Amino acid sequence: MPLKAVRLAWRITRLNFRAQLEYRSEFLMMIAIGAVWQVSVIVFATVLLTRFSGMGGWDSSDVLLIPATRMLAHGLFVLFLGRMHGIGYFIQEGKIDVCLVRPMPVHLQVQLRMFPTNAIGDLTVAVALMVGALSRSHLDWTAGRTSYLIVAVLGGMLLEAALFTAVASAALRFPAADYWGRWLEELLGTFGSYPLNVLPKAVGGLLTYGLPLAFVAYFPAAVLTGHGHDTGVPYWLAAASPLLGLLAYAGSRLLWRWSLGHYTGVNG
Amino acid sequence: MAVPYAWRAARVTPLGELHTPPRMTAALLRLAVQVVLVASLWHGLYAHTGTTAGMTRDQAVTYAVLAVLASRLRELDQYAARDTVIQHMHFGTIVYWYLRPLSPQRYYALRALGEQLYGLAWALAGFAICLAAGVVQPPGSAAVAGVFGLSLLLGQWILYYVMLAIDQLCFFTLRNNAAMLILIFAQNLLSGVYAPLWFFPDWFVTLSGFLPFQATLSVPLSLYVGRIPLSDAGPALLVQAAWVVVLALFTRLVWRLAARQVISQGG
Repeated sequence: MPLKAVRLAWRITRLNFRAQLEYRSEFLMMIAIGAVWQVSVIVFATVLLTRFSGMGGWDSSDVLLIPATRMLAHGLFVLFLGRMHGIGYFIQEGKIDVCLVRPMPVHLQVQLRMFPTNAIGDLTVAVALMVGALSRSHLDWTAGRTSYLIVAVLGGMLLEAALFTAVASAALRFPAADYWGRWLEELLGTFGSYPLNVLPKAVGGLLTYGLPLAFVAYFPAAVLTGHGHDTGVPYWLAAASPLLGLLAYAGSRLLWRWSLGHYTGVNG
Repeated sequence: MAVPYAWRAARVTPLGELHTPPRMTAALLRLAVQVVLVASLWHGLYAHTGTTAGMTRDQAVTYAVLAVLASRLRELDQYAARDTVIQHMHFGTIVYWYLRPLSPQRYYALRALGEQLYGLAWALAGFAICLAAGVVQPPGSAAVAGVFGLSLLLGQWILYYVMLAIDQLCFFTLRNNAAMLILIFAQNLLSGVYAPLWFFPDWFVTLSGFLPFQATLSVPLSLYVGRIPLSDAGPALLVQAAWVVVLALFTRLVWRLAARQVISQGG
């Protein structure tokens, strides 16, 4: 992105941030909701870990790495690429049509349409959980392992962005597709935070090949903690999760561009 | 008010849903997948455990699946109908609620009734299928089924008032998105949707006892699976009824205060 565009994007973001501050109580509550939403995942995982000894053969410190990775990836997604989620109403109200006539890429305009205040809460809890997970971890955090964790978080962010960009592409044609986005968020939050080998193979397969939820955090965490050979997929595929996120995101952007090219709006 | 008028207002949401087959197909698929995933998860968790927190595998699976089905009761795409309080506040059309020959509170209640009856049809159909497939256990006796039905009714009544209170917030803050999200979180966590409250630490269960959320879902489901015995059903139902009365009085007061906030265009 040229320097001028970066400067413009920064200015718009600053303005959006000030706009969010207009409603102070809403602003503070949005930060709170980001935090409490993530805390709910921690509470659920903690309850399960306390009540059921070991999940799918993983000890609790290893399991914690899964929600930590997913949450951090999710927080970064919300901060940088999250406006694709919930775009249905933006399209339904014809606001996307305005973006088409402006001299800025539509995708960038969509991402800059508001400041995601809840990302502050999301990321605060995610960083805290990651610090907690790493401090409880018995693994030797070598440079290689640390680098893989960073790449995995970025890959998870891109994979989540790819899924929501695909839904947004569908929403250009069918605004009701937004409904699937909310379901996707629910599935990622509920089933993306613990070892999927606790589920029957068919269900685990559905969350691997049907909806690539396992690649967001479960597979990278499995590779890091030495469970990479017990995931039900070839080791190389589990290890390549971050790369898959990158490829999926690139593919989803192509899909978005194609869908936008075929967008007709209300006036044809 | 004449029954036909009430019927017309109550059926708006169900009719809107019935005329959008893609949304109904999506809801069906989502519900089916969610039930399968939740049942699989709890079966998997209990694979190497007998009884945990006093709950057997069958109780836990039944509880979790019923929680998913019950969530259908209020899980409509409210914004799609363009008739939510926040949308009317945003576009300034809330004033029309006060110009009709039907009071806003009555209209709101009728719409909610229609929504919940529509959701109930989904939940009942899902329950019948799950029961036939052996995913959930039948109630222990006819008495348990009756008490569960009464408790579920009271629970939904409480949930209606809680949702109403959040919508009423719009009259004073103009926005309620964050409050709504926090409410959904609190509702899911404190009513036992994420996990039965019996699995949580004692302090958490005690804390939730002071809030209305556990009365919306945890109490009826605990009665159904037998975690609350029939002998203890009376006090539980009384607490639910007390919440209905308290929240009814509170929201009635807020309706009055809200009316003072509404001004028509031009003042």
